[in-house]
Amino acid sequence: MLDISNAPDGTTDAMIRLTGVTKHYEGSDAPAVAPLTMDIRRGEFVCLVGPSGCGKTTTLRMINRLVEPTAGQIWIDGQDVTHSDPDQLRRHIGYVIQQVGLIPHMSIGQNVGIVPSMLGWDRKRISARVDELLELVGLDPSVYRSRYPKQLSGGQQQRVGVARALAADPPVMLMDEPFGAIDPITRERLQAEFLQLQERIRKTIVFVTHDVDEALRLGDRIAIFAEGSRLAQFDTPLEILTNPADDFVRTFIGEGAALRRLSLLRVGDLPASVDSGEPVDLTVGADETVAGVLEKMLMAGAERVHVAGGATLTVQDMLLATALPKHPALR
Amino acid sequence: MSFLDYVSENSTRISFLFLQHVQVVLISVGLATVVSILLAMVTERLPKTRKAALSITGTILTIPSFALFGLMIPLFGLGVAPTVLALTVYAVFPILRNAVTGLETVDASVVDAARGMGMASRQRLWRIRLPLAWPVILNGIRVATIMVVAIAAIGAAVRGPGLGELIFRGLSRMGAANALNEALAGVVAIVVVAAVMDVLFLIIGRVTTPRGLHA
Amino acid sequence: MSNTVTSLRTAGTANRDKDRSGWVLPVIAATLAVGTLGYIGTASLDSIEARALTTDVLLERLFEHVSLVVVSTVVVIAIGVPAGILLSRPGARYLRPPALALANAGQAIPSIGILVLLALVYGVGFRMAVVALVVYALLPILRNTIVGLQQVSPFVIDAARGMGMSARRILFTVELPLAVPVMLAGIRVSLILNVGVATLATYTNAGGLGDLIERGIVFNRMPILMAGCLLTIALALIVDWLAGLTERRLRPKGI
Ligand SMILES: Nc1ncnc2c1ncn2[C@@H]1O[C@H](COP(=O)(O)OP(=O)(O)OP(=O)(O)O)[C@@H](O)[C@H]1O
Ligand SMILES: [Mg+2]
Repeated sequence: MLDISNAPDGTTDAMIRLTGVTKHYEGSDAPAVAPLTMDIRRGEFVCLVGPSGCGKTTTLRMINRLVEPTAGQIWIDGQDVTHSDPDQLRRHIGYVIQQVGLIPHMSIGQNVGIVPSMLGWDRKRISARVDELLELVGLDPSVYRSRYPKQLSGGQQQRVGVARALAADPPVMLMDEPFGAIDPITRERLQAEFLQLQERIRKTIVFVTHDVDEALRLGDRIAIFAEGSRLAQFDTPLEILTNPADDFVRTFIGEGAALRRLSLLRVGDLPASVDSGEPVDLTVGADETVAGVLEKMLMAGAERVHVAGGATLTVQDMLLATALPKHPALR
Repeated sequence: MSFLDYVSENSTRISFLFLQHVQVVLISVGLATVVSILLAMVTERLPKTRKAALSITGTILTIPSFALFGLMIPLFGLGVAPTVLALTVYAVFPILRNAVTGLETVDASVVDAARGMGMASRQRLWRIRLPLAWPVILNGIRVATIMVVAIAAIGAAVRGPGLGELIFRGLSRMGAANALNEALAGVVAIVVVAAVMDVLFLIIGRVTTPRGLHA
Repeated sequence: MSNTVTSLRTAGTANRDKDRSGWVLPVIAATLAVGTLGYIGTASLDSIEARALTTDVLLERLFEHVSLVVVSTVVVIAIGVPAGILLSRPGARYLRPPALALANAGQAIPSIGILVLLALVYGVGFRMAVVALVVYALLPILRNTIVGLQQVSPFVIDAARGMGMSARRILFTVELPLAVPVMLAGIRVSLILNVGVATLATYTNAGGLGDLIERGIVFNRMPILMAGCLLTIALALIVDWLAGLTERRLRPKGI
């Protein structure tokens, strides 16, 4: 049996490696995914963004072989899984879709317990795991585990979807616009919670979205696809905003790149300006974002701010620094 | 004798029964249509009565047709009357149900707009709701017709008119020459009646559906 | 063509589901049956009537009728459900329309026509009657099985595949349970059709309650005729009521 969760560790830095992966649907001339090569590191949160129809979903579904690639190879944790048993493979890869797809006639608890039970866990262990996961995604098990999917709101259903994907503690999670059908306010909350969750569980996540802001907010790295699944740029949010690879990327990320960077840059990374020795009104942590600190300064009416264990910055320092694409901290 | 020979030799009788069959079906469905639409309109403001009417006519559909035909005999004797009556009773439910759904599902905003223009409730029914519900009602009539075409065959068991006679005669002459041809002619002709009716309703639908409702 | 009839009946019965939970139907049925038996017991019958309406005869006709219905329904389920499952698989995409057309055609033929033609060609008796009933009642189950499986949300199936469920497991733990309500509706329609067509089985020497109706007509004896009609109606109502109960009982929770 294939057991990628216990595969030899450290053999490669890439948790997911696609080499020349291609998908050609029957009856269409253009490939849905042109030969694509990319490495996704262990514990990394990668967002795939791009215009509709550019092949994000197809790419994602080739990783767990819900779509069979026409050519190329897929490696997960150093193993070539291009030809392994797909059912076994999928039991060790979390999969979350926009429509959630909870099984209507099974209770929430049963839904979450599906993969563990297929893996032959005993009932006690499954039950404990279900409770643990429901709590992890913020649903009280005593309330929700015996409910049926249709008795939950859309946002709650998607929490269950995430819990279900995490059930057997898979090292890899594939998510296809999981928050796409949820109202904006709930979506933001789910995004924030999910980021916190990821801090704790450190999964390797491939996350499809067509919302650039979502990608910038969540991704450690972002893969921007152009039409015809051309990988236009694959880099950190900051680098994409600072140095868009081409016009396509520039148009795609849209207006306001400079302002958006404010919420990605951390004050600790800014160059220290000359300390004039004037009194400081406010002290902040080094890993707070520039946008957050600016907000605090505006609220407090502070002119200058002290970064804990570092420099003192004025509003102007901060704006100049963030506007300076050539600065080494930004490279 | 081949089937086709049989048919051509007996074409007069077969076409007579064919027309009789069509007649009986049309009369029954016509009666049922009047009854159903009246029922639907009368029960507009009586939801409980409407539910009861649907419930009762629906339950009647589960009654075996032979038993319903038989039940008519003590009341109306043998022949045309029990056949027409039984067929009418069967045909009510599909039409009534579609009339009710048709009228109920007319876009509320359209009706509201009509009310806003000062149309009285009777005007709204005749000028807005019935025309809009018509395609649904017509489909109910079509379904009822095709159903009744097949059931009418059993009417021959109570000496009713129509093509069922060929089937029962064929059966009673089992073993005799042409028994099979006779029954087969009846069966085929009934299928033809159903097909013709189906096409007829397609055409009626095309012609009578308000222009704006065409897909 | 006649598939509209069965869809109509399906929808019709679904419409009336609420009433079914009540005791109206069985009470009517019981009243009909008891009333009929009471009348037979007390009325002064002539010799033909008396002979046709002994308890033994009545029980035998009832038994014949119920056997016809039970056997043909079991056969229809045994054929229709697996065939429906096979036809709903992606591989059978091209087979589906002709198969449904064939089943449709079976239904377009009037029930008495199927019975009589089979009798004329292959002879009479219980077995031939069962064959006729099966031909006639196959469509609702076949079609509802296919429809029931097709209406399962593709996203649920996609998520199930994504979790690593095998196709067979998805069929048995996801698709079939979710298709059960629609399949049961189809089975119920088939059952009701069978009760109806079985009344005509008397014309092919397979007995049943229709035998009483036929005799009543032939001998012009209203007591026999009425007994046959009323008992048939009582049976139909009871069967439909039981089917409705079972339908609700077997429907999976949560859908
Ligand atoms: N099953 C299929 N058969 C044929 N073509 C397909 C199939 N699935 C996807 N395609 C085509 O492949 C291309 C990529 O589709 P894909 O679903 O991967 O796009 P996407 O980037 O996820 O788009 P969206 O943002 O709209 O979800 C599209 O042109 C689509 O029409
Ligand atoms: Mg997509």
